[in-house]
Amino acid sequence: MPLYPAPPPESPFDQPLDRPAVLAALQARIRRLERGGAAAEAAPIPLCDAIDRHLPAGGLARAGLHEVMAAEPGAAAGFCAMALARTEGTVLWIAAEPDAWPPGLSRFGLSAANLVLVQARRPADALWAMEEALRCPGVAGALLVQAEIDMTAARRLQLAAEAGGALGLLLRPDAAAEEAAPADTLRARGSGQAASAALTRWRVGALGSGGGGRHALGDPRWQLELLRCRGGQPREWQVTWQPAAGCLTVEGAEDAAPESRPARRRVPR
Amino acid sequence: MRRRFCRPPSLLDALPPRPGDLSETDAFDSLGIIASVAPAAPRRSLALHLPWLAAERRHVIGPWASWETERQQRRIVAVSPAAAAAGISPGQTLADAQAILPELTVEPAETLADLAWLRRLALWAQTISPLAAPNPPDGLLLDITGVPHLHGGEDALLHKVVQHLARRGLTVRAAIAGAPAAAAALARATPGRIVPPGAEAEALGPLPLSVLRLPAATAAALHRLGLRRVGDVLRQPRGPLARRFGAALTLALDAATGQHPTPIQPLRPPAAFLASREFLEPLITREALDAVLEVLLGQLCRQLATAGKGARRLLLLGFRVDGTMQALHIGTGLPARDPRHFARLFQPRMEKLEPGFGFERLTLEARFVEDHAAPQASLPSQGGLAAEARQEALAALLDRLAQRLPVWRLEPRESHIPERAVRRRDPFAAIADAAWPGQPRPLRLLRRPLALQVTAPLPDEPPIQLRHGSRVWRVQRAEGPERIEPEWWRPGPQPPFRDYYRVELTSGARLWVCRSGAVVPGETARWWLHGRFA
Repeated sequence: MPLYPAPPPESPFDQPLDRPAVLAALQARIRRLERGGAAAEAAPIPLCDAIDRHLPAGGLARAGLHEVMAAEPGAAAGFCAMALARTEGTVLWIAAEPDAWPPGLSRFGLSAANLVLVQARRPADALWAMEEALRCPGVAGALLVQAEIDMTAARRLQLAAEAGGALGLLLRPDAAAEEAAPADTLRARGSGQAASAALTRWRVGALGSGGGGRHALGDPRWQLELLRCRGGQPREWQVTWQPAAGCLTVEGAEDAAPESRPARRRVPR
Repeated sequence: MRRRFCRPPSLLDALPPRPGDLSETDAFDSLGIIASVAPAAPRRSLALHLPWLAAERRHVIGPWASWETERQQRRIVAVSPAAAAAGISPGQTLADAQAILPELTVEPAETLADLAWLRRLALWAQTISPLAAPNPPDGLLLDITGVPHLHGGEDALLHKVVQHLARRGLTVRAAIAGAPAAAAALARATPGRIVPPGAEAEALGPLPLSVLRLPAATAAALHRLGLRRVGDVLRQPRGPLARRFGAALTLALDAATGQHPTPIQPLRPPAAFLASREFLEPLITREALDAVLEVLLGQLCRQLATAGKGARRLLLLGFRVDGTMQALHIGTGLPARDPRHFARLFQPRMEKLEPGFGFERLTLEARFVEDHAAPQASLPSQGGLAAEARQEALAALLDRLAQRLPVWRLEPRESHIPERAVRRRDPFAAIADAAWPGQPRPLRLLRRPLALQVTAPLPDEPPIQLRHGSRVWRVQRAEGPERIEPEWWRPGPQPPFRDYYRVELTSGARLWVCRSGAVVPGETARWWLHGRFA
């Protein structure tokens, strides 16, 4: 009787390991575990080609929560309105004082027929409304305007979005920036390095329009900063919103730069 | 069985009914609703008379009377039993009453409070019959058709009601008759009497005319003619009576004898769909209430499903042991009959119920009901839920949100004034998309415009610097002005015209600022921040 049993002849160790395939399978499995399964299959929301290529989901992922820090309230609202309009369904705008105005929103493609406003003065009510909205399969997107949100609440919203499949946007205005403020005040404060449960965190600021004279404003230009991205790298873009074409265009040479290989996921803290 | 009342029996009756052949009465039968029981069933009314209502409401002890000023004279309007025993009666002047009984406690009358209290009592009386009405100033009327057998006969019902109110310290006199007016008259004159249908005239005959509560002038005139009892008047020829005293007298007589009974106008019309439970042991805990609510919702939703209806508004009534009633209501935007949806809407409200010593009865009513086709069960397709299911989920969400928070949609309106360009609509309204003005508009409009101090090189030129408080922003570019004139066709004074500028600050922020009114030399122009562009 042998002391040790002989290894079975068809042991996997005998065969050469298909390393890339195993890694890809494991990554897919982790992604499934993280994103609550089927929710990830829905098509992401396109922003513009250059940005979509950088984002791991190929756009703003549905069934997820995205934070938008408003360096300039108008520009951030414009960015949110554009994303909400591209969900092509009913969207909810939840705020203590909802000031969304359809005549302006229609320039971003968001129609008054799809917009429902919810007024929630207390933060607890606002979070409850947002969670209910994100859980609802009839809602395509929901925007919550709230200054402070803790990790637990954000995680709850993320889970609700995964369950319902809606796009969740968290617009976080800066208290100092509320009153027609210049962008500088926000830089020092919410630098966006705090941990968060959201899939991405953006900072949206305004840029002065490049050309034109003193009496023509031209198309709005924004500074888009991707501060955090689950499964991606931070980056920034300078973009122009073209209302006539209804699309964003990225400026500068970054656009043409060859895309690096898919970024590796950062270890969460 | 019931169908025989509707049409004469024929050969068709021998055949089994076809599925499409259900008449309306059958549908009601299957719902267990008491719908106009049978054409020939006589209606029965129970009248309660509370002779000491004002005194018992205030829990007075000893001789007591309330007064009110009538033609600059203070007259007694209500007395307590002790005062009545001493010879004090309503209608006396206060001075006389105080002369008869110096130790009499007097208070001003509270007619409205008495009425409100009577109304609350009528709400409680809905536990006996859903058709309950207050009969001011001191009575209640109940339509008890089809009710007595639940209590073991009319006698037992009468006894039970009187006993129950006596336990609450109320003296009550009751009578049952066919016509409500006859019952009310009998309750005043011969309490405890039960008159079989059709015998009202006979029973009222020997009673004094005062039981009919005729107008004072009519009663006095009849008295002068020697007609002192109801029977006396009934024996008179109708024509001369009507000519002499008007139609009001004959109407009152017909109502009392049951020839033309006046219907009871119930406090609330009975609901077509309701479910209720009574409890031997009063319910106090939240768990028990939740459990009963679940049962009631199940029953009600089954009724609604059988009738193909959906409820827009549900009312949960809790009848407390101490004779008060509490109500909770929820509304939905679209007709619904899903018990789980209703339960979720009720959930946050249940804490508003105050059980006190407990609820002895809970009733759930559907107040507004609309046709609601059964939703078609669809297989989950590749793209998730079907469109109808999504719509339904959205409606349910809006219901839940609207229970707690203001929810609205914005509808375009024909107006150039920015704050009038949209108006709020309920979240279920269908909004048509509109063509907005070609000029760029801000996407956030401040509800309260911010007052600004503005520097402009010339009064009519675009601003170059904005200031709010201690903060200053330089303007890099400006477009404008766009003048928005007041709407002169609207009534009332209108605010002056406004000149709007789209400005870009050095930071890149884009704002919508306006100057209201014409520039007057020597005065500072009023500037406002009204909106933000992207």
